[in-house]
Amino acid sequence: MNLLSLLIFAPLLFALLIVVLPSSLRAGFKYINLLATLVQLGISIMLYLQFKTGSGFAGVNVESQFQFLQKLHWINLDLGSMGHMQIDYFVGIDGISITLVMLTSVVMVIAALASWEIKSNLKGYFALFLLLNTAVIGVFCALDFFLFYIFYELMLLPLYFLIGMWGGARRQYAAIKFFLYTLFGSVFMLLVMVGLYLSVKDPVTGNHTFNMIQMMNPANYDAGSVFSVLAHKTIFGISARTVGFVVLFIAFAIKVPVVPLHTWLPDAHVEAPTPVSIILAGVLLKVGGYGIIRICLGIFPDIAASGAWWLGLLGVISIIYGALNALAQRDLKRLIAYSSVSHMGFVLLGIASQTTEGISGALMQMVSHGFLSTMLFFLVGVIYNRVHDREIYNFHGLANLMPKYTTFVLIAFFASLGLPGLSAFMGESFSLLGAFKSTSVNGFLPYWMAVTGSVGVLLSAAYFLWTLQRMFFGSLSLKGGDVWKAALVDLNTREVLTLLPLAALALALGIMPSLVFDKVNDSVLALVHFLGNK
Amino acid sequence: MQDFLTHIDTLTTKFALTAVLLPLLAAIVNYVLPAKSKITGWISTLAILGSAVLCAFIFAKVWNQHEVHQQQLWFSIGDTKVYAGILLNNLSVLMLVLVSLVALPVHIYSTAYMKEDARYGRYFTYLSFFCFSMLALVVTDNLVLFYAFWELVGFSSYLLIGFWFTKPKAILANKKAFIMNRIGDIGLLTAIITLFVSCHTFDITQLFGANALVKTIAIPTNWQYLACAGLFLAVAAKSAQFPLHTWLPDAMEGPTSISALIHAATMVAAGVFLLGRFYPFFTPDELTILAIIGTFTAFMAATIALTQNDLKRILAYSTISQLGFMVAAMGIGAYSSSLFHLATHAFFKCLLFLVAGIVIHEMQHIKEENNLEIDPQNIQTMGGLRKKLPLTFIAAVIGGFALIGFPLTSGYLSKDSILVRSFEWAEDRNGIEKLLPLVLFLTSWLTAFYVARMVYKVFFGEFKPAISNPKINLHISDGGWQYKLPLILLAIGSLFPLFSYNPLASENAWLVKGFSSADTANELSIYQTYIPVLVNLGVVLVLYWAYTIYIGQRRLPISATAFLVRFSYNEWYIDRSYQRIIVKPVLALSRFACWIDPNIIDGFLHLLSKITLAFAKVTEWLDKNIVDGFLHLLAALVLGIGNFARRFQNGKVQYYLFSMLAIILAIFIFKILI
Repeated sequence: MNLLSLLIFAPLLFALLIVVLPSSLRAGFKYINLLATLVQLGISIMLYLQFKTGSGFAGVNVESQFQFLQKLHWINLDLGSMGHMQIDYFVGIDGISITLVMLTSVVMVIAALASWEIKSNLKGYFALFLLLNTAVIGVFCALDFFLFYIFYELMLLPLYFLIGMWGGARRQYAAIKFFLYTLFGSVFMLLVMVGLYLSVKDPVTGNHTFNMIQMMNPANYDAGSVFSVLAHKTIFGISARTVGFVVLFIAFAIKVPVVPLHTWLPDAHVEAPTPVSIILAGVLLKVGGYGIIRICLGIFPDIAASGAWWLGLLGVISIIYGALNALAQRDLKRLIAYSSVSHMGFVLLGIASQTTEGISGALMQMVSHGFLSTMLFFLVGVIYNRVHDREIYNFHGLANLMPKYTTFVLIAFFASLGLPGLSAFMGESFSLLGAFKSTSVNGFLPYWMAVTGSVGVLLSAAYFLWTLQRMFFGSLSLKGGDVWKAALVDLNTREVLTLLPLAALALALGIMPSLVFDKVNDSVLALVHFLGNK
Repeated sequence: MQDFLTHIDTLTTKFALTAVLLPLLAAIVNYVLPAKSKITGWISTLAILGSAVLCAFIFAKVWNQHEVHQQQLWFSIGDTKVYAGILLNNLSVLMLVLVSLVALPVHIYSTAYMKEDARYGRYFTYLSFFCFSMLALVVTDNLVLFYAFWELVGFSSYLLIGFWFTKPKAILANKKAFIMNRIGDIGLLTAIITLFVSCHTFDITQLFGANALVKTIAIPTNWQYLACAGLFLAVAAKSAQFPLHTWLPDAMEGPTSISALIHAATMVAAGVFLLGRFYPFFTPDELTILAIIGTFTAFMAATIALTQNDLKRILAYSTISQLGFMVAAMGIGAYSSSLFHLATHAFFKCLLFLVAGIVIHEMQHIKEENNLEIDPQNIQTMGGLRKKLPLTFIAAVIGGFALIGFPLTSGYLSKDSILVRSFEWAEDRNGIEKLLPLVLFLTSWLTAFYVARMVYKVFFGEFKPAISNPKINLHISDGGWQYKLPLILLAIGSLFPLFSYNPLASENAWLVKGFSSADTANELSIYQTYIPVLVNLGVVLVLYWAYTIYIGQRRLPISATAFLVRFSYNEWYIDRSYQRIIVKPVLALSRFACWIDPNIIDGFLHLLSKITLAFAKVTEWLDKNIVDGFLHLLAALVLGIGNFARRFQNGKVQYYLFSMLAIILAIFIFKILI
């Protein structure tokens, strides 16, 4: 049994188990769910430890260098004179995906622990939770575009229900907004995918193929096909490859999210229950960044080069705009949602630079943001569960009442604002460094972008410290008076056990960035080399 | 032999590593211990004592001998390998000794000063963490780690300024300190990135060492400016230079022992230390700008200190002023004098703050015992304390004289060295540069005045609350040995013998000699003799004049409401203008950004959804009325015809015959007509 396939489908098996168990056992569902995520974490750790590094295992555009490969013929239709329709079940990982798979497994465990707060319709909730889990891991492992698309769309369905059924007051609005936004991106992605399929032929079998790695090689394109590099086909008078790139980029940019395609995010976060917020911010946003690296850059390197300036610009706008918005928020969860927009801007900026430092920094930032946003949303969930309020101005001086909680908030805030020794510092500084280096290496990004991006680092200090000042320090005063005071007990053991590993991970990544950099380095080098020889 | 030398170097490096990590270990242990535990204080003190001993040993090994540099791979990113290591040269070992030696008395003092605090253990956790960051900052050999510890000292300062987190002012102050320091951090980050992109390394030795890459590689001009601007911001933020100095006076909300160590002696000197590290990078023009800014800051802060009434605020502004002297000294090429002043200032300013701590502590005591409504930090409510606090008084006088730069103190040696060199530097220059030494000169007199005012008001005359209320109990004293010992140690450090055998000439001080190779300023000239004499003559006059005003009750030559006095008292209105020019617009901008989201972007989306809905309504109407309407019409037509035709099928034979006849007739008529 391939470890990777086991990783992808194990949650599905647990989901089936939950579905067939009688509802009278529902008190045990959360433990089954936790067990599922722990099994998955175990498999991921095995993958991480067995993962080989070295230039012979770089992956990216060389199929044989991917690890834990599994390729099965899945749909093989004989279309007569048009050859075979070839869709494979094709999974494998390289340095770019391994860290994200690892991240997903950790975040899922935390989300499973946060699911203790769910009280209604448990069977449905946990079944959807595990289905989502399968889909997310699948997205990071799929190497066949068709398979990727299926997993990609499969994420939508459980999320729609998880937000729409277990969410807050305006959950219907948020769920529909989220669903339509994402669907808008992926519908057009489908067209590009079909276009690519019709343009690319497997050099061995001569069939059209959905194999993403073969799509990266210009030699596999049919002469005269829509997306062929040499054919210079146009759609509505615009170069077909540009259209393809832009469409895919928009699809992933909605996920990241990139300003101005981000407005689903604050609403979805505010309405979603804590575990769903955790998965959204911790993992789903990374699907966007991953897609841009693997698909936009991998399949359209020529357009990625000419459009790098725009990508960088959008990254800088996201950084500054997200941070300014966070500064003005009065709802703690909304503030964190906007800080996510700002921090993911660094990812886009790093990717746009197309330098080793920038892309490694972007990957680091994704992993770090995954852990930190998980921590932040969990922390918001803690006070929301106690008093059902999270308006910043309704709390004051919480440090007097909840010292342990305040300590974790302090760690999470300072890690997020990029304090050295904690993870985000490495991600942000190397993204900025890459952006700056791009000026002299490939000339994609002007250096003012890096300088402007660094202002985001300043603004993040401003909004996090201001929040600390308003909510946690000073003398105790709560809107809800003594009722709240009684309700706001400090963290319990389960909560501490949830937060402690996250804080430890943030610290570990800050001190030993090689935990990520070593795994991604060969792939990033290969990718940059590949982009340079487009 | 070579092996042996390497072995010795490895040993020295290990010592340095231990010296740095001991306080970290103490911080971790203290964090785990209960917050009230009194043992934490001694754990931290022991750790810093151990560090100090090791640092002294390292100093003996490295000072004026070959530098020690050892490193190992930390991580690699792309083709770049980033090493972490320890670099010990004259600059780092001087700072090592200085930081640990000043930190030791502060630790001892703190064990008494903080003993009634409920979070005693936490205080020492933070204090040790600060010491770790600061020691690590001075020995690290690469810019990534340099940045990391640069920011960590800022972070520990944040924690300690806001140590009493229920005080709203303290929380405002630590937020302000961290954010203003963040501006500097961005500058430093930009500079580091620029240097890395042009020179492809983070290694300090390669960049600024013997064959400095910053000199051999041609850095594009605009990048040079960018990096220089960034470094300047970093220095201005950390060392509280204009225009980023406003956080330091506010930072005085923290415990006084912290103000002594972090906000006077060590952390704020990190900016000057940075200049020392990056020195080869700067071009002569950039150095001149640095000199102008340093001089301006020194002057500005001194004028503000003249009228402040808060004891700690006066000292804070004097710190800013003295840091201005150091930065200016760097700018004029008096590298050794600058570091010399850094070292002497650390001792005497730390001493003065500890004095202030004792005074404030005792005032607080009087206030609580007698239920008075006074501000224990306001010098207007003090007076005559020299009789009650004799040792503190002596310490204050020594510290004060050192700050003024009076002969026989260490301050005299370092400050006059800066003054002399500034005159030498300005000799062949014109315009504003010619003015700089004169401004520094004037600033020295201003310093004398505000120090005199402070000491007279606190220690001389009558105790002010006792004038109106003679029954006040004054149960106060210098305190226990934990107070006295640090004062004595630091007071000794503020006198000349620690630095030079000759109390009147600085050029032979060991510290100056250790750095003289980096100097560009001239040695020995006519100024050497008459500048110190002139300065100190003036100082004596100023001291006497201040005496006549504050003790002899002579009237001030300027009214208390005059514009200049208000200007100085309100700290040149700088803080208020920042609030108006920067903070408010940024907040307005953020509210605007927050308005865009629901109104413009979502507004557009909602409009889109409305249009879609309206379109759907139209198609619905079309469906119902046109498409279905046509069908209904068709159906109605068929029905109508059917109903019409049905009437002919009523089963009566006569009717059928009649119908047939009618039809035949109709056809005939039709035929005939056509």
